[in-house]
Amino acid sequence: MDYYVQTLVDGIAQGSIYALMAIGFAMIMGILGLVTFTHGEVIMVGAFAGFYALTFLKTGIFIALVAGFAAAWILGLVIELICYRRWPKGPDETWLITTIGVSTVLKSGAQIVLGTEQQLVPDVYTGFWTFGGVRILHIQVFMLAVLFLLSAALWLFLKKTKTGLELKAVSMDKTAAALLGVDVRRILVVGNAIGCALCGVSGVLLGVYYNSVHAVMGGSAGLKSFASAVLGGLTSIPGAAIGGVLLGIFENVGVAIFSSGWRDVIAFLILIAVLLVRPSGLLGRKGAEKV
Amino acid sequence: MIAIFRTTQRHRGLSILACACLLLIVPFVIRGNDYLLRIAINILLYSVLATSLNIINGYSGQFNIGQAGFYCIGAYTAAILATRCGVGFWIALPVSGLIASASSVLLGIPTARLRGIFLAICTLGFSEIVRLTVLNWIEFTRGPMGIPGIPFPTVLGYEISTNFGFYFLILAIAAVALFVCFRVLNSRIGRAWIAIREDELAAKSMGIPTTRYKIYNLAFGTFWAGVAGCFYAYLSSYVSADSFTLDEGFAILCMVLVGGPGSLVGPIVGAFFLVVLPEMFRFLAEYRLVIFGLAILVTMHVRPQGIAGGGVFAALAPEAAGEGEKGAAS
Repeated sequence: MDYYVQTLVDGIAQGSIYALMAIGFAMIMGILGLVTFTHGEVIMVGAFAGFYALTFLKTGIFIALVAGFAAAWILGLVIELICYRRWPKGPDETWLITTIGVSTVLKSGAQIVLGTEQQLVPDVYTGFWTFGGVRILHIQVFMLAVLFLLSAALWLFLKKTKTGLELKAVSMDKTAAALLGVDVRRILVVGNAIGCALCGVSGVLLGVYYNSVHAVMGGSAGLKSFASAVLGGLTSIPGAAIGGVLLGIFENVGVAIFSSGWRDVIAFLILIAVLLVRPSGLLGRKGAEKV
Repeated sequence: MIAIFRTTQRHRGLSILACACLLLIVPFVIRGNDYLLRIAINILLYSVLATSLNIINGYSGQFNIGQAGFYCIGAYTAAILATRCGVGFWIALPVSGLIASASSVLLGIPTARLRGIFLAICTLGFSEIVRLTVLNWIEFTRGPMGIPGIPFPTVLGYEISTNFGFYFLILAIAAVALFVCFRVLNSRIGRAWIAIREDELAAKSMGIPTTRYKIYNLAFGTFWAGVAGCFYAYLSSYVSADSFTLDEGFAILCMVLVGGPGSLVGPIVGAFFLVVLPEMFRFLAEYRLVIFGLAILVTMHVRPQGIAGGGVFAALAPEAAGEGEKGAAS
């Protein structure tokens, strides 16, 4: 019994990282109306920014999170400049291709600059509480807290500020928003940067939780953020959060049943299953997924 | 450059003949040089792979990123058939293709009816999953150890064991692949794919069952990736999961995009450039994928239709027609 509760706890903790990634992904997806392939690499860059802050600058975890946030924000601006700016109304495929190009450059560039070995991230919050046979690490609670804080901040931002409302308007209908006087281009820049920044934070958490960062971690992270977002309904932000936590739970249960080598396979199978059964996701608009 | 394209357009039969002669003579010229022969083989192998991806990305407007996954399936099918079941090359070749295309149908059924982006991400995931499965399913694929000892293929009683022989083998495969693709693309099914690419809704209203045709398209494209995988397995006589990473898929995609999607020549041009360039600048070998990524970005910014993309001929068409009228008037 304890074993299963433990799996559930670990799943929720891991799911909180996925949720953060997926929120960023859903945000970008909503604003652009298009999937980005740079997502995994943004997570990787965020993770490395946090790693360097923790090891070389010897800062605390909070500064590391800010570093990941800032690095990913800047990267988001650069990505917008390279990938999207030239084709404001470009065909879908152009953005797809340019983001693939940038992601390839980032990934292989990172392998050259940062090395291909795993880097060891120092421990943060090593303590834990024990309830019966179940162990809850402090870091797990911390991750969940970061998720709640950031989601609350994002919710307030989208609800209360003018930019936030404009973001929501653009994600609902670009043309209508433009007609009502929203500067769509600015919103695109801001929305993309926020989405990337959230991923940067999730990258730092990922590195800290697993005690390791490496240059190719982006691939599976990107796939998982997509799977969580699809599970939640692709552009729905609360959906993405729920999807992320669910994916974390499913994955840990799956790993408990099979072995850890199959971890990424489980996420993929869930993705396929969702697409087969309910492509609009848990909280998505019905029919939004069609051509 | 444009003059060359124009000439090749006008005398299509002649230029194909010239290319064929060149391709047949080249190996005799570089026969003693295994290094050059190997590059020539790679160019042809990647031409087949890029063509197979071009069928999907260039002609039906679907977006497949994980061609390496299907390539991997083809290679492992051939390797397992050859080492465990003692099956010959000529049976392994179509079987690898069929298994690759069967797996693409399994992937296409949930995703082809959705917006293109789902297929894109799912192929990306699929490619990675295939690699992970190969790594983890140790009883079947020997996991990270790979499968060594694939015998040399036998063609018409001759055992092919040199690069010289392999060159002609892949040349034959490439020629057959190109010919079949050309015929299929100019058939009803190929025109239906192009119609779907241009406007899926319009195609649907013209009575094309778009989902089914998109799945056919996936199956046909990945078939050739499987065939290429089979050849690769025999060529290197050893397969391991390391050869089929996502980067490999990106490299193939890059060849299609840089060469020019939606034209039969484009991917071959792309394969030629992107195989030869890293060889010419050996000191840049480490940066191979960075170069590929940059090549994609530069292409999109400078020449979105690719080096030999449809744009070359489309841009020429009205001009050429105008010249023709002038000629008729005078």
